[in-house]
Amino acid sequence: MNDKAIVLKGIGKAFAGHVAVKDLSLEVPRGSVFGLLGPNGAGKTTTLRMVMDILGPDTGTIEILGRPADHASRDRIGYMPEERGLYPRMALEEQLVFMAAIKGMGRKEAEMRLGPWLERLGLADWRKKKVNELSKGMQQKAQFVATVLHEPEVLIMDEPTTGLDPVGMDVMREAMLDLRRKGATIVLSSHQMEAVERLCDRVALINRGEKVLDGSVAEVKARHGKNTVALAFEGDGSFIESLPGVAKVSDHGQYVEVRLEKEADPQPLLREAAARLRVRRFEIVEPSLHDIFVETVTARGEEAA
Amino acid sequence: MTAKLWAVVRREYLERVRTKGFVIGTILGPLILGAMMIIPIFAMRSGSKPLKVAVLDGTGTLGPAVEAALRDARFDDKPRFDVQPVGPDAPGGREAGLKKAVLEGKLDGYLALPADAVAKGAASYFGRNVSNRLDLRTMQRAVSDVLAGVRLAGAGLDPAKVKDLTRELDLKTIRLSESGEREDQGAAFIFAVILLMILYTSILMWGNMVMTSVIEEKTSRVVEVMASGVSSTTLLTGKLLGVGGAGLTQFLVWSLSLFGASLVMAGPLAGTFPMPEITPLMLVSFVLFFLLGFYFYAALYAAIGSAVNTVQEAQNLAFPVMTPIFIGMVSFPAAIEAPDGPLSVTLSMIPGISPLIMFLRIVVLTPPTWQIALSIALLALGILGVLWVSARIYRVGILMYGKKPTFPELMKWVRHA
Repeated sequence: MNDKAIVLKGIGKAFAGHVAVKDLSLEVPRGSVFGLLGPNGAGKTTTLRMVMDILGPDTGTIEILGRPADHASRDRIGYMPEERGLYPRMALEEQLVFMAAIKGMGRKEAEMRLGPWLERLGLADWRKKKVNELSKGMQQKAQFVATVLHEPEVLIMDEPTTGLDPVGMDVMREAMLDLRRKGATIVLSSHQMEAVERLCDRVALINRGEKVLDGSVAEVKARHGKNTVALAFEGDGSFIESLPGVAKVSDHGQYVEVRLEKEADPQPLLREAAARLRVRRFEIVEPSLHDIFVETVTARGEEAA
Repeated sequence: MTAKLWAVVRREYLERVRTKGFVIGTILGPLILGAMMIIPIFAMRSGSKPLKVAVLDGTGTLGPAVEAALRDARFDDKPRFDVQPVGPDAPGGREAGLKKAVLEGKLDGYLALPADAVAKGAASYFGRNVSNRLDLRTMQRAVSDVLAGVRLAGAGLDPAKVKDLTRELDLKTIRLSESGEREDQGAAFIFAVILLMILYTSILMWGNMVMTSVIEEKTSRVVEVMASGVSSTTLLTGKLLGVGGAGLTQFLVWSLSLFGASLVMAGPLAGTFPMPEITPLMLVSFVLFFLLGFYFYAALYAAIGSAVNTVQEAQNLAFPVMTPIFIGMVSFPAAIEAPDGPLSVTLSMIPGISPLIMFLRIVVLTPPTWQIALSIALLALGILGVLWVSARIYRVGILMYGKKPTFPELMKWVRHA
């Protein structure tokens, strides 16, 4: 048994005039939560669409669950596109059973599995209602049920956080992690790296259709060293930027994140800050994926979007 | 694969059939249809009351003869005029009195013969309703005969003899078909036109429905979810079969009730009422040409729907594509006139036009079997060709948002898909 849920080998896709994805290779291990991260327009959606055979790749090969991708293997994936969509005039229950049917699950079985899902997401009272009578939040949850009802082994969610309120987000994250505990592989794509990096154990960062870096989150962060300081203070901290050894300061409102140059010692910064400011917090933290991304992209002489 | 296709077909079918519009249309359709067929026939051959008319004689001599001729004038063996005496002089003259009587509804109208009616061959009819052509024609004939009689007598000829010698041809039209002869009094013409209208509107209506539903799938963005489960070909096929099935359901209800009505009514009304004949061939080709016509245009409509973002955008693209069916619609009078002429035969072979014109030819006469078969074969080939092109546009189009593609761009999709 192959331990990879999805393997992309050198896939590429160009549309009239521009290259959306270029020679992209990725491996998504089974049972992982995989983050496909990058700014808008990086090629995430195009990549996922190729995995789902909505678009055919110009080059490269795709393997799903250990075999070359075909219709049968794609039925084992649940796909939630970035642009959510349900048939507006169809009753919720009927709609979800239909969505499972086009993923190859029989009506009877889908009907049987539907109840618990609706209960869990608080949609049970709405099963006979038409989709356009549901609130946006409920439609999102319904979409999620449509994605998972046929019991996929791989769950792909494109920008799962858009349009969700915090409560909805919690419910969905719970359901998602539950599936994962049962052995499902989860692929999340997002341009909001902070929002998903906590969920993921592996990530790939892509920019302009090319992979910037990938690996387990711990690995990626370790590779970039523990040279970031979170600093909260009272007073005018504008001098920090010009201190020796400081590469970059990003203001997060409540605190600033100080990125030090490689091999630089944080101690002088602490001394200087304590001398000139009223420090409330000083902590050596891992760099955020966002910072790693920006840094890597800039280092390559490219402009980050 | 088949299970998925079936799921799509089922969804599309149920979504159409469950609407109020469908239910009402299916039930009311035959009723409206029946009314459309029966009312004109009734109106035309109506047993409505004879018209109350008076004759205002300006010649001083012809009055009684004209009145007698009107009393005798018949249409469909029924007297049509109830000639009233001209009333006493009203203030302002007799004519004013007649006008008043007409306006008050005591008379339907009056005929004014000027003093030089014989010489000029002219008269005027004043009435509240002057669009009852059949009655007015009957009146014209009757009065014309009287005037001609006077002229003939003036020339020393015997009017009765002349009339006997120049008797007009009474041409009865009898339609021959396998199921026997039947006198046709123009009903077949009306009938053919009505069936043609139904065919035309149904093909366009159901074709349009495919287009709207493709656009809806794009606007609601559900199409990407669909595309992750089924191929675009399955989606398109399922949609065409499902919507086509709903259209066929309605169309079958309509045609069978039409057929049933003609069978039920043919007996009791025989002779008195010109119920047009519906042969099984007509019924079968009615349904068949609906289906084939639907698929031809629905495939085109689906491609258009996939290429655009809104129904408004679609209208511009749809217009040129509908040209064949418009040609069929404007050329049908020519086809009724000469159903076996080279124009009709040619048009009935061209896919897209053939659903209308071949069907019309079948209604008006029975074309040779090979022609019917060829027309259907060509149409089927046409459908396959259109489907091939449309499926390619559809595959690209359903995931395209933004600017409406130009025609050359569409061609590029077809080549590269």
